[in-house]
Amino acid sequence: MADAAAPNSNKATVYHPLQSTQPVKVAASGVEVFYADQQALHGITANIHDRSVTAFIGPSGCGKSTFLRCINRMNDTIDTARVRGSIRIDDEEINDRGVDPVLLRARVGMVFQKPNPFPKSIYDNVAYGPRIHGLASSKDELDAVVETSLRKAGLWDEVADRLDQPGNSLSGGQQQRLVIARAIAVNPEVILMDEPCSALDPIATARIEELIDELRENYCLIIVTHSMAQAARVSQMTAFFHLGHLVEYGPTEEIFTNPRDRRTQDYITGRFG
Amino acid sequence: MQLSLFTALALLVLTAIGFLAGRSRALALAGNGGTRLHSLPNYHGYFVALWAGLPGFALLAAYAMFASMAVNSLVLGQMERAAAPLQAQYESELRDDPAYTGAMDEIARLEIAISELRDEADAVIESDGVQSDAVAELRERQAALQFEIDDARFTRDTRAEAVAAEMLEDLRAADDLALARAGFEYGRLPSEQREVYMADARALAFGVELASRDTPELRALADTLRPIHQGLAWGGSLAALGIALAGLAFARTRLAVRFRARNRVEWIISAALALASLIAILTTLGIIFSLLFESLRFFASIDWRVADFLFGTQWSPQTAIRPGQIGQSGSFGAVPLFAGTALITLIAMMVAAPVGLFAAVYLSEYADSRVRSWAKPLLEILAGVPTVVYGFFALLTVGPLLRDFALFLGYEDAVTQSALSAGLVMGVMIIPFVSSLSDDVINAVPQSLRDGAYAMGATKSETICHVVFPAALPGIVGALLLAVSRAVGETMIVVMAAGQAANLTANPLESVTTITVQIVTLLTGDQEFDSPKTLSAFALGLVLFVLTLILNIIALRVVQSYREKYD
Repeated sequence: MADAAAPNSNKATVYHPLQSTQPVKVAASGVEVFYADQQALHGITANIHDRSVTAFIGPSGCGKSTFLRCINRMNDTIDTARVRGSIRIDDEEINDRGVDPVLLRARVGMVFQKPNPFPKSIYDNVAYGPRIHGLASSKDELDAVVETSLRKAGLWDEVADRLDQPGNSLSGGQQQRLVIARAIAVNPEVILMDEPCSALDPIATARIEELIDELRENYCLIIVTHSMAQAARVSQMTAFFHLGHLVEYGPTEEIFTNPRDRRTQDYITGRFG
Repeated sequence: MQLSLFTALALLVLTAIGFLAGRSRALALAGNGGTRLHSLPNYHGYFVALWAGLPGFALLAAYAMFASMAVNSLVLGQMERAAAPLQAQYESELRDDPAYTGAMDEIARLEIAISELRDEADAVIESDGVQSDAVAELRERQAALQFEIDDARFTRDTRAEAVAAEMLEDLRAADDLALARAGFEYGRLPSEQREVYMADARALAFGVELASRDTPELRALADTLRPIHQGLAWGGSLAALGIALAGLAFARTRLAVRFRARNRVEWIISAALALASLIAILTTLGIIFSLLFESLRFFASIDWRVADFLFGTQWSPQTAIRPGQIGQSGSFGAVPLFAGTALITLIAMMVAAPVGLFAAVYLSEYADSRVRSWAKPLLEILAGVPTVVYGFFALLTVGPLLRDFALFLGYEDAVTQSALSAGLVMGVMIIPFVSSLSDDVINAVPQSLRDGAYAMGATKSETICHVVFPAALPGIVGALLLAVSRAVGETMIVVMAAGQAANLTANPLESVTTITVQIVTLLTGDQEFDSPKTLSAFALGLVLFVLTLILNIIALRVVQSYREKYD
């Protein structure tokens, strides 16, 4: 453990020995993001595994959300943002000109910090993705997709008898699960979650965390969180970001019990952040 | 006038003194930082200042409003008392005047004769019916008697006039009882001339305006008026200053260490703010009531045939001046005006709604910030163009163009002044309203909703259609309805471009007229305010008001029922 007290100026990422048995789903290499002239991410390289939860932690403004938004090319919607480097999902480069970001986003779902149901009924919220991507050929099929997605999101029992009510008539926690159901409905391979519980109370948070754990069976989940406890509870892998650098990346248990970089150690023990 | 100005200045000074007095008293109470006041010294100062200023100014305002009324009633009372003996003398002279009493007797006799004739006629109608010759003959006799009675009344009035003039002449020659003469003259004036009489007296008293006449009677009246007016003015000013001083002294005694001056000031401020909103509400009520009463007068003048007004299809108020004219009853049917208004509004909205909305979507979703920074102000300049200029444009450019085009297509009856040209130009005028308001509403849709749609793999236009638009719908509906009220109320373009013929037609190439245009036509120029023609403008105004009110209520309902909560 000689490198545990590596100096803060060290910009090289510390990679813990791999312990995940799952195949690599997302492979990022040398990803850099600029907002206008300001560099927000510096050479991020990381392999993210399928059928597991990877948590991105770090203080505000460290670039974890920016990196998350690279994975479904949401940064394209910001005029001033430029992305360099390579991100491959299942060995397919997503930053290629040939890749349609609209189709990519159907494969990589995203859930945001604040629940953002569309101004439509609960049913139409979930059916929105399948409809625009033509995933269901009949009404029955669409009904089935909606029901399955709501069941997977653990919301079906609460809303089955009021599917025609507006999505934002639900409580905050229910709305967030509705948004997850909406993301699941297009059958994505990767689900990105940007602080999905920061606007929720502890009970709703527990419910979402449970859900994340269930979803791990079938999806590659990446979650950005400010709560170290949450990262420890739900994730198998953790990446610590600081000032646009990926400082340390490894199995969650390792990162929390045995951080090798001083900054990681300081952050998880609450000395800064 | 100057006096109240000085009083106002003095009140301001008192207010300032109140502030200083309150503050210094508070500082004294606090000692040398030893005790802690509940409120900062400044708040104590504001409290005393408000107590000094508000009642004084309120009294001054009340004085300004009611002073002339009070002066008038005091002067009138004095005048009446002075004129009472003169009135008695006049009446006794009339009783002794043989010509006058003769005329009175004649009138009494004729009245009895006429009423007997009427009874007889009733009896004949009962037995023979209205059309009989006997009735006709009775009618003729009644007309003759009526003529005689008018004659006698004229004799009576001339005689009374002569007696009064003679009496006044004698007194004037003796230069006696000038104020009594004024009161006597005033009492004999018809009510609409009394206002002028008093105004002349005021003009003579203060010399600010020019009097239309200058008689010894008016002079006397002016001499009575002046001291009363001045006395009231001084009284009002002194009372205002006194109450201000009293308020100051009272407020100062209230100050204490635990006194909650800050909360009191807060309360007074909130009361002042409530008063401001009350003024707006009261003005609206006042407008409604004035419209309502004038409209009632109009409906009374057309014998309460409200249905004819609301559902009649013939609008020609100009022909209804003389009673008994053909078509008089049908000439106030306002349906052509409603139809014209609806037609032009529809055309305008067909232009403004899509163009305005698309412009808003382009500006808020597609245009980059550089295009937006010059395109939006440029579009809003359209809103600043005076409507008269739009009127020119419609009349001189669009109208002839449309007419030639219609002629080219083989429509023979095309005219320059058409509903279509007015509607199109009005639509262009409204575009900035729709686009600017919708743009704000679309911008207010949270970015997180757009992100949500993009993250689902929606394209830009899908995101706008499925997510942004529904979220912005209440605001957009509000914007459109605002544009509709604007179109309904627009006058100038329609006056110039749509003509004034009250045609009931759905053909946009014909001339039509609208509610507002008719109101303008009816009320501009010299008008008598008791003919149904003029009064009908108020009824139209009332309809317009109710119409826009209903539109607003619908708009509010729509907005409420579709409202989304975003924090």
